[in-house]
Parts: sequence; C-alpha cells; structure tokens
Amino acid sequence: MSGTAPLLAVHGVTYRYPHTAGDALHDVTLEVKAGEFHAVLGPNGSGKTTLVRVALGLVAPGAGTAELAGRPAAAWSRRDLARVVGVVTQREDSLFPQQVRETVLLGRYPHLSLWGAERPADRAAVTRALERCDAVALADRWIWTLSGGEYQRVRLARALAQEPRLLVLDEPTASLDVRHEMELFELVRGLVDRHGLAVVMITHHVNLAARFADHVLLLADGRTAAQGAPGAVLTRETVERVFAWPVAIEPFDGRPQMIPLRQPKEPT
Amino acid sequence: MRGLLLASVLALGCRPADRPATPPSAHRIVSLAPSSTELLFALGAGDQVVGRTTWCRYPPAALQVPDVGDGLNPNIEAIAARQPDLVVLYRSPLNETAATQLGRLGIPAVTLAQDRLEDIARAARELGRLTGREAAGDSIGAVMEALLGTPAPAPIARVAFVVWDNPPMVIGGGSYLDQLATLAGGANVFHDLGAASATVSIETIVARNPDLILVLSDSTAPPAYSTRREWRAVRAVREGRFITLPADLFGRPSPTAPAAVAALRRALEGATRR
Amino acid sequence: MSRWIGLGALVAVALVSAVALGPAHVALGDLASSEIVRSLRVPRALLALLVGGSLGVAGASLQALVRNPLADPFLLGLSGGAGLGAVLAIALHVAGPWALPLAAFAGALGAMALVYRLGLVGGAQLDPRVLLLAGVAVGAFSGAITTAIVSLAEAADLRNAFLWLWGGLSGASWDTVLVMAVYIPVPLVVLYAAARPLDLLALGEEPATHLGADVEPLKRRVYIAASLLTAAAVAVSGVIGFVGLIVPHITRLVWGHRHRALLPAAFLGGGALLLFADTAARVVVAPRELPVGIVTALVGVPLFAVLLRRWAGVRS
Repeated sequence: MSGTAPLLAVHGVTYRYPHTAGDALHDVTLEVKAGEFHAVLGPNGSGKTTLVRVALGLVAPGAGTAELAGRPAAAWSRRDLARVVGVVTQREDSLFPQQVRETVLLGRYPHLSLWGAERPADRAAVTRALERCDAVALADRWIWTLSGGEYQRVRLARALAQEPRLLVLDEPTASLDVRHEMELFELVRGLVDRHGLAVVMITHHVNLAARFADHVLLLADGRTAAQGAPGAVLTRETVERVFAWPVAIEPFDGRPQMIPLRQPKEPT
Repeated sequence: MRGLLLASVLALGCRPADRPATPPSAHRIVSLAPSSTELLFALGAGDQVVGRTTWCRYPPAALQVPDVGDGLNPNIEAIAARQPDLVVLYRSPLNETAATQLGRLGIPAVTLAQDRLEDIARAARELGRLTGREAAGDSIGAVMEALLGTPAPAPIARVAFVVWDNPPMVIGGGSYLDQLATLAGGANVFHDLGAASATVSIETIVARNPDLILVLSDSTAPPAYSTRREWRAVRAVREGRFITLPADLFGRPSPTAPAAVAALRRALEGATRR
Repeated sequence: MSRWIGLGALVAVALVSAVALGPAHVALGDLASSEIVRSLRVPRALLALLVGGSLGVAGASLQALVRNPLADPFLLGLSGGAGLGAVLAIALHVAGPWALPLAAFAGALGAMALVYRLGLVGGAQLDPRVLLLAGVAVGAFSGAITTAIVSLAEAADLRNAFLWLWGGLSGASWDTVLVMAVYIPVPLVVLYAAARPLDLLALGEEPATHLGADVEPLKRRVYIAASLLTAAAVAVSGVIGFVGLIVPHITRLVWGHRHRALLPAAFLGGGALLLFADTAARVVVAPRELPVGIVTALVGVPLFAVLLRRWAGVRS
C-alpha cells in the first residue's frame, strides 16, 4: 500500500489569514498514503483546520506546495476532487428535513452527470456506504430523529458514498459520548484496514488518536511540534510544552496515554 | 328631499362646539380643492383667496395665488402661514382630521362635498354665504340645479370613460363625469357601477362595446394604449373612436358644467355623424 | 408518478377555467370563435402560467440560495427597482406601448446589480444574510425615491403608476406572451441545471464544496437567473406577491426538497395558482376586477395552512 504516490502531500506550507499578524501555519509538512490513519492534534488555534484547508486547495499557501493524488491541489476541479476525497466537516446545518438515504445519496453528486438521473450503481454505492458505517437500519429514518452518534455515522456514510480514496474528518467525535466515540474510531480504523482508505482526522481526543492512528502530527502555533508514530510524538516534555499543562504519560495497549495532572492551588 | 339635504349640509356645516366659528365674511381664504377654488373665483371672491393647492389651476387667475402644497395631506403649517380666517377642504375622513387640527390653531375650517354636480350647487351657496356674496352663490346654485333639473336627452351614443390602462380603470355612475355624459346624451356603459371609478377587465369593456371612448386629456392624440394588441379587441379602440376632453372643462365638477355639457354634446353629435 | 399526473390535471383545469370563465359571458359553444377568448383570455391565461411558473421557480431557487424558507423573489429589492424604473418612465414621458415594461425591467436589473455588488462588499461573497439585508435596503431606498418623485410631481398619471405596480395581468396580449415565452427558457434551464448543487447547498457552503459543488459560481448563476425571471415577471405584471413565497413550500410538502423534482413542480404549481387567482380576480366581483396579488394571498395562505397541518401531523 505504501510506495505509491501519496494521496495528500503538503510540503513546507505557510499560510497567513488576510489582515492578521502572524502565520496561521508555518513550514508544515504532511504526507498521507493509502492505508494510513493520520491524526492531527494540537491546542485550539494551532492551525489544524487551516492545514486541511490548504491541503484541499481551498486556500493557496503563501509558501510551500499542496498536492492531492499527485496533482497540485489548485489544479483540481471541485467535482473531480470530490471523487477522490471525502470530507466530514465539524458542523453542518441542514436547512430542510431529509431522510438518511436521501442525504447519503447526495454523496453521489460528483459521480452523476449534469442531466442524468441516479442509476442503480449509485443506489448500490449508497447501500454499501451505509453497510460500512453500520447504518443500514437507519436508512429510512428522518435526520432529525437521529442521535448525535447516529448522525455522525450517516455523515460518514455520505462521505463514503463518494467512493473516495482519502477521508478527511474534522473533529468527528466532538460531542459524542464514550460509546459512540469508540464506535466511530473503530469504524474509521476498519475502513483503513479492510478497505485501504487513507484517513486524516483532526481531533482533540489525544488518547484515542494515540490508540488508533498510525501517525500523529502535533501542531502548536501553526508550527509542527512533533510528527511521527504516536509513541515518538506523545512524550511528556512535548505534550506539556504544547498544551501548557502538566501531564503524565502512561502506556496502554502499546500506545502512550496522556493523563493531565491537577494543579495544586497555592495555600492562602 | 332637497330641503332635507340642505338642512343636513347646514347642520354639518355647523362646527362642533370646540371648533371656531366661521367669520361673518371671510377675507383670507385658503381653498384646498380645485372645485372650491374655482367656485370662489366664480363668486367674484378671487381676491379673497390667499392660498390654493398645486392642483388648483382654474381659472388661470388662480395661478397667481400662493401654493400651499398638494392638499391631499394638508400641510397645516403652510396653511397657517397664510394667516387665513377660513379654510375650505374637500370632504373626506382625512380632511376631517385636518379641520380639527386647524381648529386647534384657532382657524375656522369647513369641509364641503365636491364630487358631483349637486355638491357644486350646495358648495356655491355655502361659499356664497361664507364670503358675504349670497346672491352670487344662489345664482350659481340655481344654474346648476336647473341643469340637473332638465330631463336628460335620449342617448345618442354609448360611451365609456377610460382613465387608466393598466389596470384598466373606468368611470362609474358615482362620478360627475357620468352626470355630464348623461346630460349630453351619452350613455355611460358603466353607469351601473356605483363607484366614481372602478377597475375592470378589458374583456368587460369589449363585451359592453361602447361606441366611443372618452379620454381626459389636453392633447387630441389617441392614448398610448390604443396601439397595444390587447386593447384592440375593443371595437372603439380599433376604430379609433376617441373623444378627448380637456381638463379646463372636465377635470373637476365645476360651475362651467353647462358649457362642458354643451361641448360634449357637440362632440358626440360630431362623432356619431361619421 | 400520480403526483405529477395530479399536478398536470390541476394545470389543465386551471387553464380551461381561465379561458371559459370571465366577467363577460361567453357561451361554451362560442369559445373557439369568440374574439374575447382568442385575443384576451387565452393570452392572459398563458401569461398567468408563465408568470406564476417563473415566480414559483425563482422563489424556490432563492429560498435555497439565501438558505431562508421565508425568502420571496421580491425580497431582493427587485420590486423597488421596477417601481422606480416605471415611475421615471412616466415622469420623463417616455413614449411607446413597451415603455413601461422595459423601464420596469431595467429598474429591476439595476436593483439586482446593486444588491449583487453589495453582496460582494468586504469579501462577503454573496453571503445570504448580506444579500437579504442589501435587498431590503435597496428595495426600501428605491421605494422612498419613487414615493418622493410621485408626491412631488404634478402629473396625475404618476399616482396611477402605483396601481400598475400592485400587480395584474391586464397587460396580457399575444405579444407579451411571446416575449415571455422566448425569454424565460434560458434562466429556467440554468436553474434546473443547478438543481442538484442546490440540494448540496442546503447542507451549508462548506459541506457543499466538499461534495463537489463550485459554490461561488453556483450562487452567482442562481442569483442572476432567479432575478432575471423575477424582473421579467414584474415588467409584464407588476408585483404579484405570495406566489414565489408559498408555492415552493406547498410543493415541498408533496415533492420533498430535491430540487430536480421541486423546480418543475414549483413552475407548474405557481402557474396553476396564478391562473386560479386571476380567474377569481376577474369573476368574483364582476364587472369589477380585484388586484390579483390580493387573491393570491387569499387563496394561497389557507391552502398552505391546510397542507401544513397535514405535514405537522406526519412529523409528530
């Protein structure tokens, strides 16, 4: 699975938002190949979402290059890119009520011709996507009746319906309870292992990222604080420096787990 | 019946207790309707008119009088600046409020109905009384009543007044124009509509098939809509059978009504001869 | 499928009743030969279909574009611009039977361009909230100028210009129908081609982009095409409210939110509604005629309430 061109490759990218002082990203490099699960971690405002925007060609970097599947990110039409990369954003406000199958079908858009109707192949892709996300039972439900965890699975199914080779997930477990969080991480891990997808996940959940991801990119202030296997990146010194909080690092299941320490109050 | 009407007009002319009484003979009159302005000049009281609306253009001498606004929503300040001892308003709910406001400033105001020819008769008498020219007022009133009293001639043409094209608006039985037409021998095909004016479909005009279309205009050119395809379904439009009525005689109910009737009669006779 | 057959039947009934009924009595047997029917009722019925349809489609598209189900095609300042154009044409004594519609159309386009430009201010990129605010502002501004011109000017004609603006199909003729029939297909096709991307846009601009929609060009196309349809409708028939607002909601209750079905249904539904409303406007107080905008409200709102009850029942 490795040895082919990386699906996502940003090299030395620097980006500054207009009318701001200071770079949102500075000299960051990331390569993602098929069958790899990358987690992007870092405190708020460290540039995680900006990195994804630059990588997907939504904004042009001030310095450095961004490529997707071997072509410059800017060279992709949105439609062509949607056939290769599936993105689940942090938030989505659906304006109108929909059923699950309908909303997953929207993921077939990049494969549909301008005037043609949906074909049986499209409906089959939807069913497959629902199966992979363990959401077939939800197919005829209305979106507003779903729980948070169920809704995330549906959104993931929609991204899978695009039949992408790369999945980008922006804080997909932000408001989920432990069970739904674990289910989602397992689901994503399964997609990587069984179907050879590449995954980039932005997440705050350092410990689950450490357990499930193959590679971790830890950002701080727009710069790469550390990058590599979870064990190499999540050391006490690095984590304390980046998150500005004392922690202990304990191994679990062969992966480092971060345990934040309490700050003793000054005696009055 | 007429006595009852006269009594009620006088009764209505009596102001409620909180409004100032009219002077025995008004010397500084602001007139807020074209009909009453024209009447005042016709009574010989033109020199006593110190304010008029923008729309008051008859007689031409009225143009010398200062303009106090359009009169539709009376500009109380501009009126008061003329220091009137009487304000004459067109009777309408909005103007009742204006009359009360003027009253609060100590300015006597009367509202007069000025929609139909009989209103002009009454208004002439009332204004005659208010300006100390009862004889002139009675004289004009008598002429109007005589005009209204003569039996209408047998109609020589079926007519419709079209005052706007989109949406099509016609004059109905409630308007002084309808009265002028009847007196001149024109049968208004929309006489059955009680209102002064109403919106109708073009197809209704086609169905009622007037012989002549009467247009209020100072130019003799046919109206702009006469070239439009949908209007050409009306026979009179197709055949170009228009009569234009100039504003000086027909623009408002006026003591010149007898002349207007005569002019219209001549026009109808001329049109039906062809 | 049966829904479409039902809608088609509704349109057919609406057309037939518009042609057969009217303030002037025309016997059924004489319909084909009657001048009133051929020169007045048939073109008027066709114009009602085209105008109502245009407003329905424009309304549905704009509601998706500004992500607001309360959007109406006239919310974007077009009616104010059209009124100003018309009043200027009358005040300047511009001659010709097409002067008023052309001036209104030009005014509407001017308003559209202004709102579009305002929608781009500060890099806003046609942000829906900016568009709505700009539309209301431009509409109010043009309305104020129009009222000022009318109250200061001397011609009685100008006051009557407002009557035209209140909306009506009195100006319908074979000429107007031809102009509309030639003009509207292009904006309609542009909007239909945008149907799927509009479904994506309902999720939000970012998700839509990631699903493959080119959001900025899409918004531009939809805004311009919907505005062109609305401008044409105002030019030929003044401001007829409620159709563009309510028809999309009614059709959504039956056809759902997918625009590939919704837009054609909104066209036919809007046409049917305006046909019924115009027939009622001509017949109910005959020989007088009601402004059709009043009838569309009186007919459309209760209809919507009934359907809303049923939909609310399904949801609970």
